[in-house]
Amino acid sequence: MISIAISSQKGGVGKTTLSINLAHAFARAGLNTLLVDGDPQGSVGLSLTRQSRLLSGFYDFLADPGIPMERLIVPTRLETFSLVAAGQASDYEMGNGTSGSHLARVKAFLRNAAARRYDLCLIDTAAGLFGVTNDIIASSDALIIPQQAEPLGIRSVPKLLEGLNRLRIINPRLDVLGICLTMIQQGLAESTEAAAALRQLLPEEMLFQTAIPRDEIFIRASAKGLPVGILEDGAGAGAVFDSLRAEVQAKLEKHRHKTHFQSR
Amino acid sequence: MDPVNPWLDPSEVRHLAEQLLRPVAPARLFAADPGFDSSFVGYMSSEAEVAPAERREQMETAPPVSAPPVDSEVPVYVPPPRESLQPPPAAPSRTRFLERIQIFRDWLAKNFQATDIFILDREGKVIFDESGHGRLHFMARNLALASRGSGNIHVKIGPASILEVIPCETPYGRIVLGSILPEALPANHVQTITEVLIQTASPA
Repeated sequence: MISIAISSQKGGVGKTTLSINLAHAFARAGLNTLLVDGDPQGSVGLSLTRQSRLLSGFYDFLADPGIPMERLIVPTRLETFSLVAAGQASDYEMGNGTSGSHLARVKAFLRNAAARRYDLCLIDTAAGLFGVTNDIIASSDALIIPQQAEPLGIRSVPKLLEGLNRLRIINPRLDVLGICLTMIQQGLAESTEAAAALRQLLPEEMLFQTAIPRDEIFIRASAKGLPVGILEDGAGAGAVFDSLRAEVQAKLEKHRHKTHFQSR
Repeated sequence: MDPVNPWLDPSEVRHLAEQLLRPVAPARLFAADPGFDSSFVGYMSSEAEVAPAERREQMETAPPVSAPPVDSEVPVYVPPPRESLQPPPAAPSRTRFLERIQIFRDWLAKNFQATDIFILDREGKVIFDESGHGRLHFMARNLALASRGSGNIHVKIGPASILEVIPCETPYGRIVLGSILPEALPANHVQTITEVLIQTASPA
């Protein structure tokens, strides 16, 4: 199993939208996918299931690793797509800034998921690089960073990169797959200029070619509790996430090849 | 208006991004390193490699464990209030550097329950060390480098052990203080320690 954390320094950048729809794209492609809500706000659960406020979830496991995974995993209509909500214990912990407090339990959670033969575990984390989010990144195989294409977002990039460099010391095998530009508004010069500036600033392989537009369809999908690809007019938006999925898959394969090559 | 140049240093950002794309050499493990067994949660899982259901089964079938004797209770660490902190006694003006560091070490240990104290110089070489943990030095050095002057960093490395790393600018250049503490330090204590360390590491 490959575990991918979806994290960002700044909140409100479209992490949950990206997590839900990317996980759905992988599941539609046939990979047995587990989407985990690692954000105490519980946005994944609130987006996809009406029972989310009653479900046990990821934070309950961190509080009591004896809870069987079967009680946490929520199946969906798509056989290859399951999710784990944030849970009821999510109020108690936003992290006290100390890395490592929950590292062992996050790793135990991922081991349990792997034992259930998931191909992929995508974890939507809380904004910021501290507390449980740190422990999730420190336990994951790979990382995707959604980044809103607007000037303020760009100014937070140095702090984000510094934080990630620190985390890579704790988790040297972390594969930073790259930054995915989100909420791009084609009609707004500041948004497109910010996107162009970031592409010029960062190494090419640090940025995904696929960018997520700001579109009312995401609001409609969230109102219905569905990934966009399921909506009647969602084929276009779904194709964006198919493209992102292909890029993620290619990067993972390239990295694994590189690792194999280096070890010989 | 250019959304980048007035606000950040493009060469610094590019350097940080390139660093992220490069593979990181994993820390070398020294079998002789004391204190880094299965209780080290920074890298290794401290929990047994069993699924929760199996673990619950094991717990149910395990024989009952008698309560520990009262005197084995773990003492609770309460950080001292800043006002109550006394700086270390001033060393005579011609005291050697290492003697001043020793006075600082005693003060740190007494006031903060700090153990395994070490100090690295700007090149990461050991100036003072009572830990003997090469791996702690490696970790502290890398954390200090990655923090790039943004203050102290702490990482939980055991059930009741925090590695506190405090980079500090002194007249001799940047030095890095590392120590093991029962709890992460609040900002005001970090500031006090930094001030005392600067004073300690300044020429008499």
